[in-house]
This record gives sequence, C-alpha cells and structure tokens, in this order.
Amino acid sequence: MTARRTLRGLAFALIGVAMLAPLYLLVTNAFKTQQDIVGSPFGWPDDGFTLDNLWRAATSTDFNVVGAYGTTALLVIVVNVLSVLVAGPASYAIARGVRRGHRIVLLVMLAGLFIPSQAIVIPVIYVLKTLGLMGTLPGLVLFQTALTIPTTLFLFTAFVQSIPRELDEAARIDGASRLGTFWRVIFPLMRPAVATAVVLNAVGVWSDFVNPRIILGPGSGIYTVTTGVYSAISKYSTDFTIVYSNMLLAVAPVIIFYVLLQKRIIGGLTSGAVKG
Amino acid sequence: MASASSPAPATSSRRRRAARTDLATDMVMIAPAFALVVAFVIIPIGIALYLSFTDWDGFTIPPDWIGAHNYLRLFQDPDVLRAAAFTAVIAVVGTIACNALGLGIAVLLNRNSRVNTLMRVLVFSPYVIGPIILGFLWSSILGSNGAINSVLTNLGAERLPFLADPTWAMVTTILVIIWASFGVNVVLYLAGLQTLDDSLLEAAVIDGASPWQTFWRVKLPVLAPTVTLNVVLAAIGLLRVYEIVLALTAGGPAGTTQTVVFNILTTSFSRSQLGYGAAQSVVLMVVIITVTVVLTQLRRRSEEAVSA
Repeated sequence: MTARRTLRGLAFALIGVAMLAPLYLLVTNAFKTQQDIVGSPFGWPDDGFTLDNLWRAATSTDFNVVGAYGTTALLVIVVNVLSVLVAGPASYAIARGVRRGHRIVLLVMLAGLFIPSQAIVIPVIYVLKTLGLMGTLPGLVLFQTALTIPTTLFLFTAFVQSIPRELDEAARIDGASRLGTFWRVIFPLMRPAVATAVVLNAVGVWSDFVNPRIILGPGSGIYTVTTGVYSAISKYSTDFTIVYSNMLLAVAPVIIFYVLLQKRIIGGLTSGAVKG
Repeated sequence: MASASSPAPATSSRRRRAARTDLATDMVMIAPAFALVVAFVIIPIGIALYLSFTDWDGFTIPPDWIGAHNYLRLFQDPDVLRAAAFTAVIAVVGTIACNALGLGIAVLLNRNSRVNTLMRVLVFSPYVIGPIILGFLWSSILGSNGAINSVLTNLGAERLPFLADPTWAMVTTILVIIWASFGVNVVLYLAGLQTLDDSLLEAAVIDGASPWQTFWRVKLPVLAPTVTLNVVLAAIGLLRVYEIVLALTAGGPAGTTQTVVFNILTTSFSRSQLGYGAAQSVVLMVVIITVTVVLTQLRRRSEEAVSA
C-alpha cells in the first residue's frame, strides 16, 4: 500500500513539474532582463525583477493588447450567443422530429464535425467576398459561428432526446407555442449541455488563429490575441524580453479566468459530454 | 409514440393542419443553423472540390480547368509526401500517447480531493492557453538560445539541437504536441469514469480482484464508448495540427516539421497556388472521414463485446 502511495506521489510530482515548469518560466522570465533570462532562466535574477519589458510590451504599437483582448472577448461572446440561439431551436426541432427530413438535415450539419476548418478557409474567402463581408468582423463571426454549430447541435440533440416528451405535451396543453415550449420549458433543463458547448466554443474561438489571420488579414488592422501575439513575437523570436513579456500579457487574463472558473470549465466540459 | 396514444379524437384534417404548422415551425427553427452550415461549410466544400481541378492563383477569373492534374501532382510532390508522412506519425504516436496518458492519469485523479483537483487544473491548462502561445513558449524553452540550452551552456555542456536538427526537431515537435493535447483526454476519461457504477467495482473487490485486474477487466470494458470518443477525437485533432508547429518550429529546419495543414496554407497563400492547395485540402478531408469511419467500426467490435 505504501509502495503504491509512493508511486502515485512520484507520478504526481512528475506530471506537476512537466505541466508547471513551462508556465513558471513564462511568468518569471517576463520580469527579467535579457542577460538574466539567458544567464539564469530558472533561477533568481542578478539584476532583480523588472517591469520594463512588460511596460514596453503593453505600450508597444506592434501588439495592442487591450484592443486585441477586446476583439477576442467580443468574438467569444457574440459567437457563443449566436451559436446557442441558432443551434438550440434547431436541436429541439430535430430531436423531436419524426420525419426522415429531420435526420437528413441533422446528418448534413454533423458532416461539419469532420471538416477541418483550415481545409475550407480558402473557399470561405470566396463566399465572404460574395457577401461583401471579407476582411470584416461580421464575416469572421458568421464563419466561426458556423464552425461551432456541428458540435453544439450534436451535444444539444443528444441532450434533448434524454428529456421526456411529456414535458412538451404539458406545455402544449397549457397553450405554449413550439418555440415558446423550447425556450421556456426545455432550454432551462439543458444547462449541462449548454455549459459544455460554451466551454468548447469559447476555447475554440479564443485559440483560433488561422481564421482571424486569413479572414481579417493583416491589412484590416484588427487583431485578436492570437494573431496579435503572433505578429508581435514572430519577428523578434530571439529577443526574449519581447517574447516572454508578450506571452505573459496574452495569457495572464485567460489564466486568471481559468483558475477562478476552473470548476465550471472542467465540470462544464464533462457534464454534457457524458450524455452524448 | 406520444401523439399516437393521445386520447383526443381530433378529426384527421385538423390533425393534418397541426402537422403542417408543426413542419413550418420546424423549418423556421432549423433554418438559421442550416443556412449557416450550408453557406460556410457545405458550399465551401463544393468550391474546394471545384478549385481542386483548376490552377487558380487567387486572381484569374474564371480559373483554368486542368482536370486531375493537381491530384496526380500531389502524390509525387516530395513536400506533400513528407508532410503527410510526418502528420501520420504525429497522429499515430499522438493518439496512442494521449489515450494512454489520458486514461492512466484519469484513473489516478478519479477520486475527488484537493490535490486531484489541482492536478486536473494543471493537466488541462494547455488546452486553455492555446497552441500559438504554447508553441512560442516551448520554442523559447527548447530553442538554441532557449532556457534549457542556456542552463547547459552555463554548466559548460554542449547545446542540444532540440529544434535545430531535423530528427531532433521532429521528435521534439511530437512530444510538445502530446504535452499540449493529452489534458483534454484526461478530462474526457474522468467524465467517463464518473459514470462507472460503484457496485460493479465493489463486486470486483469482493470477488478478490486486484486493482490491476479491476482496471483491465471492469473499468476498461465499461469505458469502451469513452475510449472510442477519445481515440477518434485525438486522431481527428492531430491530423489537422498546425498552429503549434507554426509557433514552435515555423516548419523548420528545412521544412522537416511541416504538417499537412502547414503545407496546404503555404501552398495556398505564400505560393498563391490555391487550386493545388484545394486539392490537398480535399485529400485531407477524405483521409479524416475515412479514419473516423474506420476507427469507429474497429471500436464498435470492442463496444459490442461489452454489451454482449
């Protein structure tokens, strides 16, 4: 028994170090001079800690952190709201539908599960140009929302199917319309599935790089956190005072968010996944 | 079912009218989602198919039809073949490693305790940070002037070519990808373990099964659907890996760590061969769908073995 406990402790220590060491370097080196980053990347800096790098990164014109965070936050919120608004009623109609058409529509939309977005981004440029939305935030929002629908619909449909139909009947007898039944009776019960979808979609939009890079393009001057940090770092990848400070600025809000909401994020991811 | 057993003796015409309005509402409820998917997924797949038979450069309209030339070309293109081989290795090694780590660590972390919660948060953190930043982070750790090589030089040792030598770089890239990916599998396996019926485990213990036997004979078979989900998700995700490689190695040294998606995007945008890029995209889509179908079919057998 003690041998097993020692083994488990060893495994934990190993995993802990493997996961934490990179983050430790990321945080501490953002406050060191180039000399100290190279001289003692893991240790205490000779020159002490400094805020200069962070200040320079935060005020640099290469990467407008606040603007980029604004754009990313806007995308995350709008895409998530749209996705739930659009996929929610659709999943209800499909899950309760009895016709063959319902299954066909579901299958067509689930096809998107297997399509790598990077493989269709070139033709999407075509579509967006036709709609006059290429290089704009609405264009990116529509594409990102469309990309979230297959997964969201998959989770939602499976979840609605687990809700007894008697609830619909009761609402109908009370005179509720189908849409009303969905939003007032069914949707409130779907919290676990919504939580899972929101976590997945939020992380998907936050870490999306290819789509904002190609659809917004460097010409638009609109950057998300990922495209902004990429253009700020890739040019100066040997200047560690720029690299570490920009990385810290880019991840600090997300890490804080993650640590504060870890229970909901990890729990949310598992709650709806179990049913599906 | 429910409507058939409903006691209301409605006339058939009224019932038909109700069904018709139901269908109309259904269409209204489905239309927005369907329209988005059609406009931004289904039609683009069609356009990609069309473009793959042209030599479109992004400007000339209409693009020149060149038949199957792009497809014949990509099977002889050393860049494409190298990227395909490297991506295949990433997908196979990564899927196995992510699932072994995912399941193993999930079993370790299954019971709720403070330490386990902390470990879960740590293991899942790469997923939240995202591939671009993780790629840059590891490149500043493993680069020729990175943190580890700084320590080695300070100790008077030789630098290690983690990202500078082709073989080293390929191994490093795969390891970093695994490091960044397995956390999702841990969480999904944890979700699966939580559905496990305690009475099954108790029965196993009463029957005198060792923890090792319980794992292989009880937990793993019950987890069969979760294993399928994890294997398929890992494989699909790894076949399209791109961002982390871009930030870690930028495809180097000498293009040895380029993945399929990396090559598609370079072909399409840096070299303006959008038709050729589209052909590679189509092949990638076909591969992903095939892999999904094959894996699901293979796994169905072990899932049926459980329910039998």
